[in-house]
Amino acid sequence: MSELFRRSSAILWKDLLTETRTRQGFTAMLSFSALVLLLFSFAFGPDAALLARLSGGLVWVAIVFTGTLSLGRAFQSEELAGGAQLLRLYPGDVRALYLGKLAGNFLLLAALETLLFPAAAILFGAEFGPHAPGLAFVALLGTLGFSVIGTFFAALTVHLRARELLLPILLFPALVPVVLGSVGATDAMLAGDPLGRASGWLRLLAAYDVIMFVVCVWIFPIVLEE
Amino acid sequence: MTGAVRDATVAVRDVTVAVRVEGLTRRFGRRWALRGVDLDIDSGASVALLGSNGTGKTTLLRVLSTLLRPTAGRVEVLGQVLPGGAGGAHGASSTDAVRRRSTLMTPHGHAYEELTGLENLRFAARMSGPAVESSRLLKTLDDVGLEDAAHTAVRAYSTGMRKRLELARLSLRTLELVLLDEPFASLDDEGVSLVQAAIGRWRDGGATVVVASHRTRAATERADRVVRLEHGRVASDEPS
Repeated sequence: MSELFRRSSAILWKDLLTETRTRQGFTAMLSFSALVLLLFSFAFGPDAALLARLSGGLVWVAIVFTGTLSLGRAFQSEELAGGAQLLRLYPGDVRALYLGKLAGNFLLLAALETLLFPAAAILFGAEFGPHAPGLAFVALLGTLGFSVIGTFFAALTVHLRARELLLPILLFPALVPVVLGSVGATDAMLAGDPLGRASGWLRLLAAYDVIMFVVCVWIFPIVLEE
Repeated sequence: MTGAVRDATVAVRDVTVAVRVEGLTRRFGRRWALRGVDLDIDSGASVALLGSNGTGKTTLLRVLSTLLRPTAGRVEVLGQVLPGGAGGAHGASSTDAVRRRSTLMTPHGHAYEELTGLENLRFAARMSGPAVESSRLLKTLDDVGLEDAAHTAVRAYSTGMRKRLELARLSLRTLELVLLDEPFASLDDEGVSLVQAAIGRWRDGGATVVVASHRTRAATERADRVVRLEHGRVASDEPS
């Protein structure tokens, strides 16, 4: 277990160091998500009440679109370095690669969300502030679910020629429970119902996160086989 | 070290054959890269694997390194029967046992552009085992002539410097089997000498070295055996 942790943290350290040097991934994600939010606000017009009512769903759609863009980069950096295959030559469990990449994707997306939620609150006139602790918990579970599934499919498609097209096609159906749960819980939180409807959505999210995490960790070694 | 790996390590102490390949075939779609290769390599031997492009040299090295599974045939490396083909029932434990004691150097190496040479080496060390002190990592870079470039991002490295970094990465571990795929490609005479010296050190340490290369002279200089591949088969196998 300590070996798995050491190797996973090495991959996380390397990815975060690369990201802090280039800032390409985060800057692109931030710009893209801001554009998506702006487009939504233009598309739905000046109806402030409508925008506020839809804000939970709009934020999560922006997160999913932006996160999908960043997922592809996670394993492409390995290809530029000589191939994710070569990481398999290091002794030990190859699941370290998955766990390290998963942690990196999670942290990058979580960092983005700390800016995205306040920006959405301003643009859509939504009152996220009073519900911040509950929304943070929803974001934690939703981001974890997205990262667990997204990291797996990013690894699965990295060797494919049409990976940019195939990644969302494979990913989005698997994300349906995560998006449903996250939007449902966010709406319930904003409606001031954290212990009622929100808890049901949160249980769904947590259960799906756990199931997908176990499945993805279990079958990840097969994904890297050539 | 897991129990299975420890047992496997103990079990192969007396093995005198490092690599035993019987009827190895490997197919990529409709294309056959290897068509029934038979090959034995003694422990501590140095073998030059020669052949023109597309004869199966790289595929053979990738199978021996555990990166590729055989389509058919039996492959035994360092006493471990590898999964795939015939007789390879114990997948994860045998491949892990081989990976702990062997490595493959690819033509383009394995380095991250945005990290410095020292950071790349630190990453390799952390992936391979317990943390290694910076002073030892710097000494390793010094040994391959990269002391002045230790804190330079790899994207600024020349091809030769990348190859040196790759040699430094491999020298962090104690290896019993070293597989080198085109190690002399894009190297000047000094770089070739550096690779030759590294091969000599591995041999002196008792490791088995397999060098696949187009450069016949450089590859055979420290080899005690030359194996030539043609169309995915062993065409000749003779002393150097």
